[in-house]
Amino acid sequence: MTNSQALRRESPAVGAARTLVPYVVAVLAAFAAVGILLALMGFDVMRAYATILGTSFRTPNGFVQTLIKWVPLVLQALAFTVPLAAGKFNIGGEGQMIVGGIGAAAVGITFSDLPLPLLLPLVMMAGMAFGALWVLGPAWLLYRFNINEILTTVLMNFVAFQLIDFVATSIWPDPAAGHPTTLPIGAGGKLPLLIAHPPLHSGILIAILAAILVYVYTDRTSAGYELLATGANPRASRVYGIKVRRMFFLSLLIGGALAGLAGAIEVSGVHGRLIEGFHSNFLLLGIIVGLIAKGNNAAVPFVALFIAILEVGASAMQRTMAIPGEMVFIVEALILIFVLLTDVVRRR
Amino acid sequence: MNNEPLLELTGINKSFGPVQALKDISLTLRANEIHGLLGGNGAGKTTLMNVLFGLYKPDSGLIKLRGQPVEINAPRDAIELGIGMVHQHFLQVNDFTVAENIVLGTRLPNRPTMDLSGAVEQITELSIRFGLEVNPKAPIAALPMGVRQRVEILKALYRGVEVLILDEPTTHLTPQEVEMLFQSLQLMVAEGMSVVFITHKLREVMAACHTISVLRDGQRMFTRPRDEVTEEMIVRNMVGGDIALEESLLFSEAPEDERTYDRQAQPVLDIQGMRIDGEATALVDSVSLAVRPGEILGIAGVAGNGQQEMVEGILGIRPIAAGAVLFDGQDVSGAATEHILGLGVAYVPQDRQQDGFLPKASIAQNLILGAQRQQPYSSRRGFMNWKAIYTSARSLIAEYSIRAQDPKEPAANLSGGNIQRAMLARAFSRPIRLLIAHNPTSGLDIPSVEFIYSRILDHRQQGGATLLLSENMDELVLLSDRIAVIYEGRIAGILDRSTFDAYEIGRLMSGANDDD
Amino acid sequence: MADTPLINFASLVMMAVVPYLLASQGTMLAGRTGLFIVSQEGVMLVGASVGFLGAYLFDSLAAGMVLAMLAGGLFGVALAYFTTNLKMDQFVIGLALFFLGLGLSSLLFKIVVGVTLQPPIIPTLDRLPIPLLSEIPVLGPILFDQNILVYLSILLSLFLYFFLYKTSTGLSLRAVGENPKAADSLGVSVTRWRYATTIIGSMLMGLAGAYLPMVYTGTYTDGIVRGRGWLAIALTFFGGWSPQGILLGSFFFALVEILALRVQVTDIGLPHQFLRMLPYLATILVMVFAFRRVRAPAFLGQNYDRESRTSS
Repeated sequence: MTNSQALRRESPAVGAARTLVPYVVAVLAAFAAVGILLALMGFDVMRAYATILGTSFRTPNGFVQTLIKWVPLVLQALAFTVPLAAGKFNIGGEGQMIVGGIGAAAVGITFSDLPLPLLLPLVMMAGMAFGALWVLGPAWLLYRFNINEILTTVLMNFVAFQLIDFVATSIWPDPAAGHPTTLPIGAGGKLPLLIAHPPLHSGILIAILAAILVYVYTDRTSAGYELLATGANPRASRVYGIKVRRMFFLSLLIGGALAGLAGAIEVSGVHGRLIEGFHSNFLLLGIIVGLIAKGNNAAVPFVALFIAILEVGASAMQRTMAIPGEMVFIVEALILIFVLLTDVVRRR
Repeated sequence: MNNEPLLELTGINKSFGPVQALKDISLTLRANEIHGLLGGNGAGKTTLMNVLFGLYKPDSGLIKLRGQPVEINAPRDAIELGIGMVHQHFLQVNDFTVAENIVLGTRLPNRPTMDLSGAVEQITELSIRFGLEVNPKAPIAALPMGVRQRVEILKALYRGVEVLILDEPTTHLTPQEVEMLFQSLQLMVAEGMSVVFITHKLREVMAACHTISVLRDGQRMFTRPRDEVTEEMIVRNMVGGDIALEESLLFSEAPEDERTYDRQAQPVLDIQGMRIDGEATALVDSVSLAVRPGEILGIAGVAGNGQQEMVEGILGIRPIAAGAVLFDGQDVSGAATEHILGLGVAYVPQDRQQDGFLPKASIAQNLILGAQRQQPYSSRRGFMNWKAIYTSARSLIAEYSIRAQDPKEPAANLSGGNIQRAMLARAFSRPIRLLIAHNPTSGLDIPSVEFIYSRILDHRQQGGATLLLSENMDELVLLSDRIAVIYEGRIAGILDRSTFDAYEIGRLMSGANDDD
Repeated sequence: MADTPLINFASLVMMAVVPYLLASQGTMLAGRTGLFIVSQEGVMLVGASVGFLGAYLFDSLAAGMVLAMLAGGLFGVALAYFTTNLKMDQFVIGLALFFLGLGLSSLLFKIVVGVTLQPPIIPTLDRLPIPLLSEIPVLGPILFDQNILVYLSILLSLFLYFFLYKTSTGLSLRAVGENPKAADSLGVSVTRWRYATTIIGSMLMGLAGAYLPMVYTGTYTDGIVRGRGWLAIALTFFGGWSPQGILLGSFFFALVEILALRVQVTDIGLPHQFLRMLPYLATILVMVFAFRRVRAPAFLGQNYDRESRTSS
């Protein structure tokens, strides 16, 4: 291959640039496509994009908003990419996040008198345990009967929507709230603030730690190698002694725990209680992040940051320019499609 | 007999990348004849017929039908010209009936629903006429392989072909079914058709064919009427008298007189009465084999006679129904694959893409598959040592001449030969006692083949045991100390190096002992 | 005519069958050629949004339906192109198109209608009683006093059964999903069939989405599809990838949906949230049995490459 021969003589910087170029092209193409749409609708395209990309950096508040969005986003993305490494699709991160939040709230409300050093770890662990629990069914059905995990995980989301409604209206309802909401969790269950103004909770440290641990697991341990090998070729992996069904099961459980952790952090760090709808659209964004990063766990935190910037910018754009925030969702979906297209181009 | 040429192939050339598979081949088919096309693996038989059937586009050459040049770009064109092909692997839709498989893609009257009755009638007529008994309404998945093959032939006859190509048609057949097939073919050529019979089995070609052509290395060695040909002549032309490769390896690295090993030593691998069950019949039955240190035990056999299953049984990938597998005297039957590989077993699978290769991973990641929990690749605590992995990968890439500069390159970029070098590098990258290699050189170019042979012989020199399963007779004769022949899951015979005889091995491979 | 609660209930079930039926038959049709669509939820949302807007802007439900089908068809074209021509992973690009649909549906609505507290309402689809037949006691009001899409979707299912199993064209179509190489070797074009079925299938999904505002809500809201797209995939498996199986299965899915809604009105002591979980939990339960019993098309989810020499 003459192409790869040319590659070999390059410096690492040029090599890195080469991996980044398709992303840049995809982002530009997506922005261009949506830009045309915006222009046709009579909006000021430049101002819209300046808002989308700039809001996160113009004010401290915008920057903190971005970081707070980044936390559940990166966790949801990892909840998708860990099973993806084994070749399995976890589309149930939404339900796992909700149930993780329920677990966190349950512990935080029930043991509200416990001091922080005890309660906070309990809240976080409950979130992870409940999240993993929510994917246990689909994972077991996959392990035992080889039942398609895409459908079972996604259907569990809809079950979780009802469960949170029940918890927030019937078990620990806050009668003062106009929306299904639970009572606040104990003060000891709340994540301490890193910065007071604008408020930035310490969940970001947990997310960074989780991202590092996932990266170490998938890229630095032999267990993680077996996970990747399973995803790359389950048949060959089995021939060379890897227990692939166990890998499928385990990867889904880890995914569930990560999504559950995202729920616990939202409850403990952002809302201080369980609110119906708190899961927002983090699952979809997480999947987009995971697919754009092509499952590379070292890239996930950075892609997630970029998407968080877009999301914060989009809300600002909706406020100040009356451009529907969904516009940015189109941008994100298009970036994904264009990234996939650059793959096709490179293959030829 | 009519002696007019029905079909003429002239000067056909075809290359796959650097490998020239067909070198200026010409072949003439006549009506009323069964034309046997013989040759070893990679001789170009199937490639030539795939060109004729429109699956491969030739680089150059001319095809003439009844003296008229024709253009064949797709199977559709071939069928329209009256050329049909029965592939070694049947192309059938499993949940259709026999008739549905046969009529697929043809126009049928709809009044108002599809009316199969005419087609069924025609199929029945054809099957009676040519002795190809089938029930058109039977679901095809339930039928034995012999009947499914008749369906493939009927598919071609239903479309009115005049030239029928059969690619290794007896692979899936019992001796009785082979006889019946030959009778059917005689009936076809009696009606003016021409049949091309691709095979590597001497006995069959001598029994059934009117004309015989032998191919070797993409060239046609000769075409003669059956009566003018002797078996010896065919063998000599198939194998070739003066292979430089053979000499270079045999005389420079493993001279004949040095090929000794301790026949009393405890076997590294000892298979005792192994049986592996398939859905209906045993895939492997009563297999007992022992491989000793410093021995290469060759396993000869036509593809699909239980070789793959036997290996998977040894490695613990497939459950063993009866018998035992001993490694260095220890019973490892039923142990996990990971455990067995950890004892010092290396496996080079036949289907390297499916069974041995991680296309999405890097070359380095491929080189440690199966050894990911062993030092120095992994620490005792289970952390990967990528530095050690890359260092080892770099030296393996150099030592095995894998065409890649960096171990981090995606493995998907490697060519078939380089993948196989990587498989071998992986097998020998750690101390091993037993090498299991299945068709290790299929589809490779000469330098790669020679390289792989030298590695296997090195392993033997160092006292390692080798189980070499191959469909390439030259390879087995060249490398093995003993050759066991497998036929329908059983060992049909074992020959010692001093008594190696390609013809005798071929006889055992074709189940000749069953006939007596 | 006795309008008893039971008849009323059965009539509601019949009405709820439509979106499942249309989306699942679309999934089945494409799946039968080996193309596994997973963007149902997104395409149905687009169908709901476009269908509503079309009906609202042109003051005609028919116009809304046609536009919803066209919008769905566009998604089908994209999916077919990305998978057959560009050989992208069917799941990944299917998810990407699901996202796109999710964003587009909401965006289109907001662009046209704007953000208002009082969304515009379209008239819902009228009942179309069939003369004479609708007079039959009990069965009449259940089966023959429905909106036109109930009739059409059931007729479509019967037609698909006839087409797939009783015509030679249907035979070719099924062969493509079972063994594309065998089909290709006999001159049946894999690409052409995958395009055709994916486009038609996606059009049916668009129509399935449009049904929701046109029959139930009279307007578009985000999340109006409420997982029916995903349930449609499960229904397709449950129905054994056959038109008749899906037709039968759709009654079960519709029954569970209506049951969950109904029982929560009549207090039976169980929190209503748990009843609402029913359709999803029942579906998972059903999959445990369906997946073991049912054989999906052999090449479902796999792209076909004629030049590839490895697969057989």
